[in-house]
Amino acid sequence: MGRYIIRRLLQAIPVLLGTTFLIFAIVYALPGDPVQALAGDRRVDPVFAAALREQFHLNDPLIVRYGYYVRDIFSGDFGQTFRGLPVSTIFEGKFQVTFKLAATALIIEAIVGVLFGFWAALRRGGWEDKAILAFSLLLVSVPTLVSGFVLQLAIGVKLKQLTGTQILPVAGVQDGLRSYLLPGFVLATVSIAYLTRLTRTSLMETLRADFIRTAVAKGLPRRRVLGRHALRNSLIPLVTYLGADLGTLMGGAVITEAIFNLPGIGQQLFQSVYLRENSVVVGIVTVLVLIYIVANLVVDLLYAVLDPRIRYE
Amino acid sequence: MRVTKGAQIVAGTALLALAVAACGGSSDSSGTGAGATAAGGNPNAVRVEIAEPQHDLIPGNTTESSGAEVLNALFVGLVDYDAEKKPYNRVAESIESDDQTTWTVKLKDGYKWHNGEPVVAQNFVDSWNYTANGANAQEGNYFFGSVEGYDELNPGEGKTATATTLKGLKVVDDKTFTVKLKNPFSGFPTMLGYTAFYPLPKAAFESEGKLKADYGGNPVGNGPFKISKPWKRGSDQTISLVRDDAFKEGKAKIDAVDFKIYTDLSTAFNDLRAGNLDIMDQLPPEGIATAKNEFGDRYIEQPSSGIGYIGFPTKSGAEYAKNADVRKAISMAIDRKTITEQVFSGTRVPADDLISPVVSGYRQGACGEACTYDPAKAKQLFDSAGGGKMGPIELGYNADGGHKEWIEAVANNLRTNLGVEVTPKPVEKFASILDDLGDRKWSGAFRMAWLMDYPSPENYLRPQYGTGGSSNYSEFSDKKFDELVTKGDAANSLEEGIKFYQQADDMILKELPYIPVYFYQTNGAYSQHVKNVKIDPFERIDLFNVERA
Repeated sequence: MGRYIIRRLLQAIPVLLGTTFLIFAIVYALPGDPVQALAGDRRVDPVFAAALREQFHLNDPLIVRYGYYVRDIFSGDFGQTFRGLPVSTIFEGKFQVTFKLAATALIIEAIVGVLFGFWAALRRGGWEDKAILAFSLLLVSVPTLVSGFVLQLAIGVKLKQLTGTQILPVAGVQDGLRSYLLPGFVLATVSIAYLTRLTRTSLMETLRADFIRTAVAKGLPRRRVLGRHALRNSLIPLVTYLGADLGTLMGGAVITEAIFNLPGIGQQLFQSVYLRENSVVVGIVTVLVLIYIVANLVVDLLYAVLDPRIRYE
Repeated sequence: MRVTKGAQIVAGTALLALAVAACGGSSDSSGTGAGATAAGGNPNAVRVEIAEPQHDLIPGNTTESSGAEVLNALFVGLVDYDAEKKPYNRVAESIESDDQTTWTVKLKDGYKWHNGEPVVAQNFVDSWNYTANGANAQEGNYFFGSVEGYDELNPGEGKTATATTLKGLKVVDDKTFTVKLKNPFSGFPTMLGYTAFYPLPKAAFESEGKLKADYGGNPVGNGPFKISKPWKRGSDQTISLVRDDAFKEGKAKIDAVDFKIYTDLSTAFNDLRAGNLDIMDQLPPEGIATAKNEFGDRYIEQPSSGIGYIGFPTKSGAEYAKNADVRKAISMAIDRKTITEQVFSGTRVPADDLISPVVSGYRQGACGEACTYDPAKAKQLFDSAGGGKMGPIELGYNADGGHKEWIEAVANNLRTNLGVEVTPKPVEKFASILDDLGDRKWSGAFRMAWLMDYPSPENYLRPQYGTGGSSNYSEFSDKKFDELVTKGDAANSLEEGIKFYQQADDMILKELPYIPVYFYQTNGAYSQHVKNVKIDPFERIDLFNVERA
C-alpha cells in the first residue's frame, strides 16, 4: 500500500510538468501582448514596457521562460503579476473560498443525488422514478447562469422583501457557511442529475447480481440486503465520479462565483486570462492539477476499502 | 488621453461585465472583509458598491472610477465641482493668473492631514512631481503634460530624463505655490479637482520622490474620511473608512463608509434590493427598468461625461472616410434614438454635440441636421456624393467591450438607409485599433469614445481634433480650429473662452471626422437608509454630504 502511494506520487511529477508546460505554452501563445493588456486601452510607455519585458523574461524563448518558472516554483515562489502583486497574495484565501464552495456542492450532490437515485432504483418504473427522471432532466437543462440568478433573486431578494429576514444571503462570504449554501446548490445542480442517474443504473445492476439473490435467499432482512450488499457494491462508480467532480467543481466555479460574488479562484482565473496575467493562470492550474491528482489517488485507494477484492501492491 | 472602451458600463452579456469588472478580491469566511453585515464591520457604515481598484490607493496612479471613488472620500483637492459642474475652491483660497500661464495657488488655513499635520503647498508640489515623473509609471502622468518641465521628466523612448521635478512648480511659502504652464490655459482651475491633482503628505514618502511601499494600502489623506483598517488589494473585499472628526469643513453626516467590492453589477444590484448595500452609482442595464419602479425617487439618472462616436481616418483612410458629405450622410442615417433605447436600454441618450452636457459650453442640438435621423435626405446626400461607388464601409470595434450590438445596429441602419454594403470588423482589443490608427494602417470607420479629464470644452476638442493632439486619430487638422481653441485657452476666464470653443466645435460638426452617436449616462440608485446622494461629473459620490435617512 505504502509503496503504491509513493509510486503514484512519483508518477504525478511528469504529469505536473507536462500539464504546466502545456498551459504555459498556451497562455503565452494567446494573441495580444501581456504588457499592453496591463495598460488597457492606452499605449504603454515604451521604457516601462521594456523594463517589464526584461523583468518577466518576455524576450527569452518559451522554454527558457518555463525553466525560470519551474525553478521559482520549486523554491515555493509563484512569481509576480505584471502589476507587481505576488501571485501568492492573490491566492490568499481564494483557494479556501473555492474549496468551501466545491465541498458544499459535493456534499449536496452526494446526499441529494444518491438519495434520489436510490429511491428511483427501488421504485423502478413507478411514478417516483418518472418524477425523479423528469426532475433530473430539468436540472441538467437549466444552465448555472440562469439557476444562479433566479435563485438569488427568489431567495436572496424576493423572500427577504416578503419576510423581512435574510434567510440566505444574496452574495458575498460574510455570513460564513450560510453564504455557501445557495451557490453550492447552484454549482451542484448538474452533478446532482448525473449522480441520480448513475446511482439508479448502478444500483439496479447490482440488484440483479447473483450475490443479492443469494442474500435474499438466505433470508437477510431487506434493509441489510440493500444497505450492506447492494448500495456498498454500487458505490464504486459513484466514488469515481465524485472524486473527479471535486476538481471539476473547483475549476468550473467561474460563473457561480461571479453571480454570488465569492472571491474564489474561478473568478480569479477568468480575470487573469482576460488581463493576460500568465503567472497567475499557470499558478492556479498547477494547483488544480495537484488537486486532481490527489483526488484521483484518494478515489483509487477508496476502491480497496469498498471492494476487498481490489488490492494494491 | 482618456479614450474608453466602456465595457464596464455596457455589459452586453453578464460574462462581459464580469470580464472587466472582475477584479478578484477576497476575504476569508470568518468575515474579515465583511463590511456592515451581521458578521461584523461597522454597523453604521454606509455601504457603497465599487469594482476592485486597479491599483493601490495612490491619487496619481488612479484614473479609473472605483479607485477614484474611494480616494474622493479620503482626500479633498484644491477645487471641487458644483451642481452646474463649475469648479469652486475647496483647499484653495484662490487660483489666479494674469496671463493664464503662470498660476498662483493660495491655500486655506485649517485643512489637516489625518495624522494631524497641516496641508501645505509643498504637499501639492511633492505629489505632482511624483506623478509627473515618468520613472514612477503613474497612470495620471499625462495630466501634467501642460506644465512646464514635463518633457524633461518624460523624454520619450530611449532618452534619459534630465530632471526629477517639474520646473514649472515653485513653492512660495507654506500657503502659496505657483504653476507655470507651457501655454496659456484659462481652464486650468477646472483640472484641479481631479484625483491626480490631490496632494500627498510628508508621511507618504520614504525619501524624496519615493513613496512608502505600504502607503497605497494605508493612505493618509486630508478628506472627510480616513481609512480605518489597511486595505490589502487582491484579497480584501471591503475598504473601510471612518469619519475624520477633525475635518475642517465640519463632520460628515455619516459615521463610516464601507466600499464593497463586487465583480458583477447584477449581483450588487440584488444586494441593493435586498438591503445589503446602500449606494450604487452604476446599474446593470437589465436592472434599469426595475430600478425606476422599485426605487422611485431614490433612482438617479443624469448625464455623464462620456461620448460614443463613429470615427474616420480622414486623411489616410478609405474614400468614404475622406469625404465629408459621405460622413454627414452616414451620420444622418443612424437612428440614435432607437439605438439608445433598444440596444442600451436607456443607459445612453442620443448625442447632439461634440461637447458633453456635463460641461458648460454644451449646446443642445448643436449638431443640428447632421445628427437628426433622416433616411431620405441621408440617401440623397450619400448618392450625390458618390458614396455608392466607394466600396463597402468597414466598422471597426473592440470585441471585448460589449460594442457588438450597437455597431451591428449602426451597420443595419446604413445598409437599409443608404443601400451600402457594411462590414462590422471586430478586433480583440481596442488598443490594436488605436495602434493601427496611430500607424496610419487603419482605413475604415471605427468606434471611439471619450471620457473627460476635466470639465472644460477644451478637453473634448484639442486632444481629439487639434493638430498633433494626443488622441487625434481622425487626422483632422485645421489651423483655424487650432487658433480658435488657443484663443479660448487664452481668454480671461473660462466663460469668455467658451464662445471660441463653441466656434471650434462648429467647425468639427461641419466636417464630422467623428460622428457623435450617444452620450453616456450615470444610472444609480440608493437604499432607504440614506438620502442626499449626489454624483459629480466624474461619477464620484459626494459622501461628505450623504445623510442617514
